[in-house]
Amino acid sequence: MKTLTAYLEIFRVQFKNNFVREAVYRTNFLTSVFTDMIWMAVEFSLFKVIYANVPNLAGWSQDQVYFFLGTFFSSDAIFTIFFQRNYWAFGDLVNKGELDILLTKPVNPLFLALTRWMSLTAIFNLILGLGILIHYAGPAGFEGGWHWLLVAFWLLIGVTAASVLRFMFSIWVFWTDRGWALSRLYYQFFQIATKPDPIYPRAIRYTILTALPFAFIGSVPARALLKGLPAWEYAGVAIVLTTFFSLDALLWKRGLRRYQSASS
Amino acid sequence: MSEPVITVRDVRRSFRSVKKEEGLKGALGLILKPQYENHEALKGISFTIESGSFVGLIGANGAGKTTLLKILSGLIPPSSGEARVLGYEPFKRAITFRQSISLVMGQKAQLWWDLPAAEAFDLIRAIYEIPMPVYRERLNTLAELLDIQKHLHTQIRRLSLGERMKMELIGAILHWPKVIFLDEPTIGLDVLAAHKLREFLRVFNQKEKATIILTSHNMDDIERLCSRVMIMRSGEMIYDGNPDGLTRKGERRLRLRLMQNPEAGELAQTIGMPVSAIDIGNGNDEAATEAAEEARTFHIHLKTEQIVPVLQSVMGKYTIIDMGIEEQSLEFVIQRLFEGTKLG
Amino acid sequence: MKLQWRLATLKNGLQDATAYRLEFLIQILSSALVPAAIQSVLWYAMFVLGGKTDVAGMTYAQMLHYTLTSILFTQIRGGDNDFELAEMIREGQLSNYLLRPVGVVEFVYLRGVAPKLLIAFFCLLAGMGAGWAIGITPERLVGAMFLALIGNIIHYQISASLAAAAFVWEEAYGILMVKNMIVSLLSGELLPLNLFPPSMQWIWKSAPFYLYVFGPTQYALGRWSHQEFLMQLGVSGLWLIVGWALIRMSWGLGIRRYLSLGG
Repeated sequence: MKTLTAYLEIFRVQFKNNFVREAVYRTNFLTSVFTDMIWMAVEFSLFKVIYANVPNLAGWSQDQVYFFLGTFFSSDAIFTIFFQRNYWAFGDLVNKGELDILLTKPVNPLFLALTRWMSLTAIFNLILGLGILIHYAGPAGFEGGWHWLLVAFWLLIGVTAASVLRFMFSIWVFWTDRGWALSRLYYQFFQIATKPDPIYPRAIRYTILTALPFAFIGSVPARALLKGLPAWEYAGVAIVLTTFFSLDALLWKRGLRRYQSASS
Repeated sequence: MSEPVITVRDVRRSFRSVKKEEGLKGALGLILKPQYENHEALKGISFTIESGSFVGLIGANGAGKTTLLKILSGLIPPSSGEARVLGYEPFKRAITFRQSISLVMGQKAQLWWDLPAAEAFDLIRAIYEIPMPVYRERLNTLAELLDIQKHLHTQIRRLSLGERMKMELIGAILHWPKVIFLDEPTIGLDVLAAHKLREFLRVFNQKEKATIILTSHNMDDIERLCSRVMIMRSGEMIYDGNPDGLTRKGERRLRLRLMQNPEAGELAQTIGMPVSAIDIGNGNDEAATEAAEEARTFHIHLKTEQIVPVLQSVMGKYTIIDMGIEEQSLEFVIQRLFEGTKLG
Repeated sequence: MKLQWRLATLKNGLQDATAYRLEFLIQILSSALVPAAIQSVLWYAMFVLGGKTDVAGMTYAQMLHYTLTSILFTQIRGGDNDFELAEMIREGQLSNYLLRPVGVVEFVYLRGVAPKLLIAFFCLLAGMGAGWAIGITPERLVGAMFLALIGNIIHYQISASLAAAAFVWEEAYGILMVKNMIVSLLSGELLPLNLFPPSMQWIWKSAPFYLYVFGPTQYALGRWSHQEFLMQLGVSGLWLIVGWALIRMSWGLGIRRYLSLGG
């Protein structure tokens, strides 16, 4: 077995290498920061327009929704920093046979595949997201104090949810050579995650809390932080995430087997 | 060491692929009732390789070379039969097994293009847990041998193809593998770069006693490096042995340029041999082919004892400008093997 | 014949887009349904959960009508061919096209618009079939679709001009992304633009984006008079001229620079 320190060292080098890589492309930094700021502005304006017409949306005040947006952007930023690009690269990994190289390394190949690309410019998004979260925490009625520790916990849940879900949408490259269509579908569904889940009608809401848990990315964390969750929902989060995690692991194994049996 | 490093016993490998049909109906069919086709990539192959050998694996595209390398490096399992590398069953991919082998694919880069090579090697150091001082020393040695110290801090994408391949090789060797699989390492390289790479491999093999298996299209690779050649054709091993053994069966090549510059057919008739025994204007004398007006160079493939009678009949009819007797080239012999003609 | 290559290009574009029919369908459905679903969810939250009867002068039913009708026109607005242009410039494939006796900007447009025309046709049929239920008359629908198609051209003109940024800047990609996000808000595909607070109305009115979705939907639903519609057609005509000038300018400058750098 590889030791934990070995894995940490690999992670450190990957991080450093990504930093070196991004330092070369500085214009890229400005573009992506600018793009993401506009994206956040659009999401904010949408709610601004809506709250210009109604004072309250499914029990959420404007400040609470902004707090939700802060949570959502932070969670998404962490996902972007560590995972996003790796999942986009997943298709090439399988279709162009780059996985071969990883499989001969004395390290878990999935670990190598998922730590390869990092988008360090998204650290800026994280700062912005946390800024929004902190700014609206008071007006939204967030208790503060030791509850700030819970923010870290729920952001972790959000990132885990995004990661296991995105994995589910990427893994199919083992079976179809046009896997990008599913990746695009993920980002279609992802739009659903940009709104707090209580505003959805029951059927949709039920779906995004179970089979397609997009609500876990930002909405459930924000709700938990502001209003607390009933006990059964904690259990729900745990069960859904474990299920997804196991399914992902199973599919990865199956996929590898298929990859190995189909290649010549 | 008498224990062989690699043992392969009656290894077969078949795989299925899905038949694809066009259109919506085809797509639905793919989901509901896929049609499979079976291919046999390897049809029962056996051999052993001693420690420290340098083995060349030749064959046309689709002959099964890459499949064999993939089985030996543990990427895919054999459908039947047994393969052992360093005492391991490769497909189990034990960590210690992966620590001691290396696979280089000429067409697949393992290093990051956006990074200077030195940074990319740093990752390899972390993956193989190479202690820092050892790593530094190896990197220095390898970079010196390949003469690319000055490029270590250049972004890989800015390097030439040859330099990039050198970097790939360093990356593959840094952990001092006991067995190295090289799949087409000189593909796309110019003559000089390929030569340097070969020289390096030869030295590394001699000094470090690593076992190297190399597949290549390039006969030069094999002729200059390998003490042993294995030739594959459609999944079968059709030759396994000394590269000299292929050519030293009394075969020679007679090089001729004639004043009259006759057609190959005419010449063949004169010497009483089939046209297939005559090659015209080999790649070696490009100058001759360029000047179309000049006499062409013929290469006549024959046995030693035929040389005198053939020369006699040629001189009876034509004037010889230039001639020479050469060793049969490996390329030609292999070409013949592929065409199915066994050597007499 | 000048018409001939244009027709061939259209045909080629159509074949390309529909080669994988299943995916073509999935793409259309998901890109139509997801924004619509989110819209209806917002209305649901405002009217049903929030208990409102009237938002910016619109009832729940009117809101839903807007959402449903707008789907017909969201499908028509520009595609991703501006990204294709930027990529061509960046990767240097543009040189291949410059040698041909065909305007590359127009060529890419025709290839991209072909599937949109097919979709427009089906949307027109669907709109006529289902539209009578909410009082959409065929002639209003035809007019609205016409406006949406003009919107498609304007959108491409603006996109192509922005894509020309790739001549000077490696990352034109970002600009196009930003444009898409702004368009999604200001075209009216996320919400009816009259929901904007009065102090912010000028924002969408000063860009042509409302002509893509909001305008056609308003006319189809009878919220614009014929007179208003004709006036807006005039406005779109002006934007077409502006767009044409933008392309001439940006691509003229860009190509000169491209050629001077050795292509």
